[in-house]
Amino acid sequence: MKLKSESLLCRDRIGGIIFLIFCLTYGYQTTLIPLFPGDEYEAFTARTLPWMLTCAGIFLSLLLIAMAQPDEKSGAVFGFDWRLLISFVLLMIAYGFGLTWLGFVLATSLFLLAGFWVLGERRKSVLFGASFPFVTAFWLLLTKVLDIYLEPGYLFLSL
Amino acid sequence: MLDGILIGLSTAVMPVNLMWVVVGCFVGTFIGMLPGLGPISAIALMIPITYGLDPSSGMILMAGVYYGAVFGGSTSSILINAPGCSSTVVTAFDGYPMAQKGQAGKALALAAYSSFTGGTLSAIMLLVAAPALAKVSLSFQSPDYFALMLVGLSAVAAFAGKGQVVKAWMMTILGLMLATVGIDKGIGVERFTFGLTDLMDGFSFLLLAMATFALGETLMGILKPEKDTSAAENSALAEIGSMKITKEEFKELAPVSIRSSILGFFIGVLPGAGATIAAFLSYGLERNIAPKDKREEFGKGSMRGVVAPESANNAASSGSFVPLLTLGIPGSGTTAIMLGALISYGVQPGPRLFIDNPEIFWSVIISMYIGNIVLMVLNLPLIPYISKLLAVPRTVLLPMVIFFSITGVYLVSFNTIDVFIMIAIAIVAIFLRLSNFPLAPLLLGFILGGLMEENLRRSLMISDGELSFLWERPITLTFTAIAIIVLITPILLTLFNKFRTHKMKPSGLEQN
Repeated sequence: MKLKSESLLCRDRIGGIIFLIFCLTYGYQTTLIPLFPGDEYEAFTARTLPWMLTCAGIFLSLLLIAMAQPDEKSGAVFGFDWRLLISFVLLMIAYGFGLTWLGFVLATSLFLLAGFWVLGERRKSVLFGASFPFVTAFWLLLTKVLDIYLEPGYLFLSL
Repeated sequence: MLDGILIGLSTAVMPVNLMWVVVGCFVGTFIGMLPGLGPISAIALMIPITYGLDPSSGMILMAGVYYGAVFGGSTSSILINAPGCSSTVVTAFDGYPMAQKGQAGKALALAAYSSFTGGTLSAIMLLVAAPALAKVSLSFQSPDYFALMLVGLSAVAAFAGKGQVVKAWMMTILGLMLATVGIDKGIGVERFTFGLTDLMDGFSFLLLAMATFALGETLMGILKPEKDTSAAENSALAEIGSMKITKEEFKELAPVSIRSSILGFFIGVLPGAGATIAAFLSYGLERNIAPKDKREEFGKGSMRGVVAPESANNAASSGSFVPLLTLGIPGSGTTAIMLGALISYGVQPGPRLFIDNPEIFWSVIISMYIGNIVLMVLNLPLIPYISKLLAVPRTVLLPMVIFFSITGVYLVSFNTIDVFIMIAIAIVAIFLRLSNFPLAPLLLGFILGGLMEENLRRSLMISDGELSFLWERPITLTFTAIAIIVLITPILLTLFNKFRTHKMKPSGLEQN
């Protein structure tokens, strides 16, 4: 059978190789799990299940590498807007930092505003109406009705 | 048992719980109608809300969301041929042609009545089957549980799509591996924490469910923008036609619904099979046993083609609660999330659930029935209005869903590290989705991991380290044998098919 280069490095095979590396790392980390004196005579230790999983994982990844299907057959999907996704991931990371530094209301409002904008929303009424008032109402619900304490951002605490 | 039913009934009909059923059905219907977001995401989004409720109310809300999401999925299947979840794909085969013929109202009504029949019959069967199975399972020991979990995990992989079996096993193993992170509950040593205190308690179930499903599915919607279907849906709803079903139609369709409900329930009980397979099988069965003239209508707008999958998928949804409530073993991704939620509430699902927490056990079963009534009496007439909510553009909807997913996790831990872990897991989940790796087995493995290790530990201790515990008791032997058969069959079938194609190829070439 002749192997084409695209079927040799298809997604299934790459996935199998990544999983194999993951299992080998997991297996190595398993050897670092501390054991108590005398554990070597025990029927079950903290390492038993991880060992079993490592073996099963290695076997399955080798099986996938061997039985890999070309991308057209495996159901792998193509044709995406990666730039949009990356923008959103960065936005979410910024939101994570914003929660600590700016506090819930400001960080969430800015996240929503930027999110609408990135996805193509340009109407000012939607951009500002669905972010600041909505988040303020949600914040009131959390703090005043449900009595959940939300810490102010570090920036406001340092003022 | 009667006492338990009465306790459950009184819990389920409490005004606050009735309110949660109604809220759950509405929210579920709305989310289910959004293409790309299925029942698992809908339930995952509800988990943080349920943390503030008592376990019964939380489960009632999630059960309502589950039903609502399946019903909402049927609506978008019928109206615009865009199934909200996999279990309603079959409904589109005949539901959409009916809508094109101007019978969308009738198709929606049939879907609602069939779901109601499926829900009613399966609730009755659940009422009988669940306590009986729970009583039997009281005699289960650790080896039986371990073997049963093997059956559950292997079945979920076996029922994965074509070419996905190995990938589903890998995801199950990955889920089990993730479950080993943190302090080992038996011995108390740290495993895979890398000295990080944030990992001492292991990964949070909520975080994993939210990241892989709610956030993952939404980010997939951003990565591969689907057509904004709200306008199409609204225009389809403007001319849905009559919702009336004639007496003759009722007489013709009632047996179809009853047959499909019974079939659906039993398929739902099987671990891993679930509503999608139930819908496909019942559709196939009805097409095969239909009279010739009716058989030809299938795929072109047959009423039987709508009734069969709708009855079956609803009955299977109830059926999937049987192993969850009686054995503490979920049969699907959706019930796996519910199991995780129950464990988070401090409730241990399993055979003792209906003895120790009858109010949860029975109120969930009874609220399922109430949920069906809500869907038929309230949701059906309100469908045109609920779908107005879909007029909210995707540019607003997607950031909102992301906001609710992140906030849901943040408000439980108040730790922004969780937000970053969630984003990282969601990115990995996207790559797994793109490579066609199913994620439900991962969640199932993760949730069952702790219980599985505990039962394996006890079994090996009792048997002094010998694996003979897997075949010493007849019941364990039966489960072990089933697990092996379920594990081996897909591989044998693949090898057999490869061998057959290999053998047939030369003759095919000769013909050319």
